[in-house]
Amino acid sequence: MLRKTIIILTLVTLFAFSAAMVSAQTIELEFWHAMSGGRTAAVERIVDGFNEEHPDIHVTAQFTGSYAETLTQGISAVRSGNPPHIIQVYEVGTQTMLDSEAIVPVYEIAEGEIDFGSVIQPILNYYSVDGNLYSMPFNSSTAMLYYNKDAFAEAGIMEAPDTWTDVEEMGLKIIESGAANHGLSFGWPAWILEQMHAYHNVPYANNINGREGRASEVYLDKRFAKMVLESWTDLVEKDVIAYGGREYSANQDFLAGEVAMLIQSTSSLSSIIESADFEVGTTFLPRFEGYGIGNSVIGGASLWVMQGHSDEEYKAVVEFFKYLSRTDVTIQWHKDTGYFPSTNAAVKTLMDNRWFSDHPNYLTAFLQILSGVQSPAANGVLLGNFVEIRDIVDTAVEEAFTGVSSAEDALNKADVQADSVLQDYTELFGN
Amino acid sequence: MNSKFAKKYRYLAYLLIAPSIIIVTTFLIYPSAQSLYLSFFRSTPFGNRQIFVGIENFQRLLTSPAYWNSLTRSLVFTAITVFISISSALILAVVTNKKIKGAKIYKSLLIWPFAFSFAFAGIIWGVLLHPNVGIMSYYIKLLTTLDFNWINNGTAAFTLIIIASSWRMLGYNFIFFIAALQNVSPELLEAADIDGASPVTKFWKITFPLISPITFFLLIMNTLQVFFLTFGVVDVLTQGGPARATDIVTYKLFRDAFLSMRTGYASAQSIILFVFVAIITIIQFKYAGEKVFYQ
Amino acid sequence: MKRKKSTTIFIHLFLIISVILVSFPIIYAFMVSTLNINEVYSSPPKLQFGDNMLNNYREAWQRSNMGKLLFNSAFISVVTAVGKIILSVSAAFAFVYFGDFPGKNILFILILITHMLPLPIRIVPTYQLMDNLGWLDTYYALTIPFFASATGVLLFRQFYMTVPESLLEASLIDGITPLRFLWSILIPLSKSNIVALFTIEFIWVWNQYLWPLVTTNSAQVRVVQIGLKMLIPSDAQPEWNVIMAALIIGVIPPLLVYLTLQKSLVEGFAMQQDK
Repeated sequence: MLRKTIIILTLVTLFAFSAAMVSAQTIELEFWHAMSGGRTAAVERIVDGFNEEHPDIHVTAQFTGSYAETLTQGISAVRSGNPPHIIQVYEVGTQTMLDSEAIVPVYEIAEGEIDFGSVIQPILNYYSVDGNLYSMPFNSSTAMLYYNKDAFAEAGIMEAPDTWTDVEEMGLKIIESGAANHGLSFGWPAWILEQMHAYHNVPYANNINGREGRASEVYLDKRFAKMVLESWTDLVEKDVIAYGGREYSANQDFLAGEVAMLIQSTSSLSSIIESADFEVGTTFLPRFEGYGIGNSVIGGASLWVMQGHSDEEYKAVVEFFKYLSRTDVTIQWHKDTGYFPSTNAAVKTLMDNRWFSDHPNYLTAFLQILSGVQSPAANGVLLGNFVEIRDIVDTAVEEAFTGVSSAEDALNKADVQADSVLQDYTELFGN
Repeated sequence: MNSKFAKKYRYLAYLLIAPSIIIVTTFLIYPSAQSLYLSFFRSTPFGNRQIFVGIENFQRLLTSPAYWNSLTRSLVFTAITVFISISSALILAVVTNKKIKGAKIYKSLLIWPFAFSFAFAGIIWGVLLHPNVGIMSYYIKLLTTLDFNWINNGTAAFTLIIIASSWRMLGYNFIFFIAALQNVSPELLEAADIDGASPVTKFWKITFPLISPITFFLLIMNTLQVFFLTFGVVDVLTQGGPARATDIVTYKLFRDAFLSMRTGYASAQSIILFVFVAIITIIQFKYAGEKVFYQ
Repeated sequence: MKRKKSTTIFIHLFLIISVILVSFPIIYAFMVSTLNINEVYSSPPKLQFGDNMLNNYREAWQRSNMGKLLFNSAFISVVTAVGKIILSVSAAFAFVYFGDFPGKNILFILILITHMLPLPIRIVPTYQLMDNLGWLDTYYALTIPFFASATGVLLFRQFYMTVPESLLEASLIDGITPLRFLWSILIPLSKSNIVALFTIEFIWVWNQYLWPLVTTNSAQVRVVQIGLKMLIPSDAQPEWNVIMAALIIGVIPPLLVYLTLQKSLVEGFAMQQDK
């Protein structure tokens, strides 16, 4: 009898507990991201701050590997019907996400809740299609040139390079003086080639860079692309450029003093300043003289909201996005990583607090994107299956640099391959 | 075998085999057939659109320079790696099998690469030969002025994955050779010694015939393992680059299937790989029959 | 006699050089795992032990969540190895001791076919199957699909065929049931075969890379191989000292399994050789 009572009592207590837990249940949000290394901690910091302020919402940030891996994980989660609420997708995946039929456009759920007008124009332009914002800008960056001031001084160079001719001359001087073995290295070769197009106001693909209808043709076989790759290859042959790998591995060459200049994403700024044992300078991307003026393109990633969740959860997502765009949060994110502070208010606060004048390296990229000319060609390109096209172009650059084929042949080949990828994509989706 | 359990236990035989058959059909045969099916389609990354394209995926593959590059590189890579690792393992096994002091210690010190995965082997060798921090690349440069930079030089990268994979396979092959050599009777070799046979003659006349079945077995196993499992080395080190110098078939397959997400195109590659395995299997049966499996 | 001595010295010299060549990468990995970060990036590279070992191993353990990684790898390796052994022992037993039952050859060939279907040949559909079963990012995907083994079935089948027939005859006279015969007579006899298969499979699963890479995602089921890859940042200078520390930790379990079972492994394979 006693035993029975105990069992019943236990069961009742258990039920009571679980009922209590249901009533006090918080809304769980899953957030998958690709921020590795020091940036993981910066994301955690944001999420922890949010969770503390919102006892009824709990965001779990999960690191899911590189950008490409995160996108793959996201896709498989959608296919198995179990998507997270928020996925961070790099700019290259934008078209894939737009065509996925698996996302909720940010403007639809956040209309009137978040003032997107306050987002800095070039960033807003990049993530908007037909004037509507589809994903939440999160970590935006662009490319700029870093240089080793100590090595420059050693070679007797007093100013930073403005043009590719400067890069060549300074590079040769640096090699000659023994200040470094090579002049310049860069990461993300295909992205830098895209940057060069936008920066000189030259389109990269047809249909206005894929923004007025699907792009069906890339312009890799055009004169500009060939001029760029030929100039680079020429610098490789002169030992001025040392190829440094596809993503961030060139940073190591720069930090080790192998090269005196580095073209890399602004998101490396904090980590480079922290680990460099020399004085780091930054400046605008070098220009090719005699070409038009456009703007450097936004890179990085944005946050996409996935279908298959309740309205309540989407409300929580909007809360989270509101928090992200709050001035203090934006500023912290910028300081922790080097990514752009993405709202005008945040920029103003940073200026008021003399952040930029004390840390001029954080200002460089900013001035670069704001001083350029806004034009369709400078807004960045949208391509179907961009992931694969990046790979094709990276390969072309590598082929030219390693002497497998001439710059012209490599680009012609890449152009054919990329066009066929686009054609496949268009056949699948129509128009 | 003449004696067996009575017929009334026959149900038990089926019951005992059933689990293996269920696993094999569900996770091996059915998906393989599915590979063939998928290879006739093109679909979007999210799988929301799919169109039938017939044999277009195969046509494209077989006319694609990138795929031929990938195939040739895999075959060359496999051939060199298998040759290096089998021949060096065999030499070391024969030498350590001699009656010498400390043979046991030598043996155990030569086996351990076997415990390392291809990915681990890749990381270690990648650092040893790293252009900035690697001690080996540093001394190579100092001694030969050769810049072994696997980040921007295709030949260096290709050499690197061969070295890392051969090192890993060496340990594996060494184990099998040691086991096989235990069957070579020392008396026989001593008798040959008395007859004044040279070590080389002894090896070719006595040892080698006895271990040739295992050598053949290892040849087959190594070819398949190196062809299919070295993915890890490439993924942690070069990701197929630079300029596709290390874009071995499994890496290309992975990239097309899971990064570009072209499932049809990737499945067609699977089918071509199946043809490769089928050829190896036919060779295996033709020259060794079922025997090879028994090792 | 004189000539023989010089040959012996030559052999030792040859072996010592070989051992150094083969072991150097491992010793070097260990060396790096004891350096501090400045020593790692110093030029010329250092060939020495440092005094930062404890820090590196602690850092590696915490940063990669090593305890969980080791548990996951060990768990799937043991489960898969044991699953394979159970399934192949029972199938091999059925093939040898029950005469010619209908369908025997077909079933045997079906199992042999696994040899011809390595993962890359079916990776896309198998992945989709895992997806449909809801097995992605679970232990199921990492273990169950690998339970069948042609090698295992052949290994045990071959061994049973060499077990003296008198053994079965005597047992049949005693009226033994098949399962009893398997359990108390055959299995004890095939101990070294079982151990050999266990060792090979444990190490094989532990070192698997491609499949966990595509099917797992969360830290809950992440294995050592993938955890290590994640320690290599793409955007900063890799801390090779910490990475090597994690690598050394990650290779200890398969090494231990191998060293403990080494004797049986060689016996298990040598025995097969006799036939």
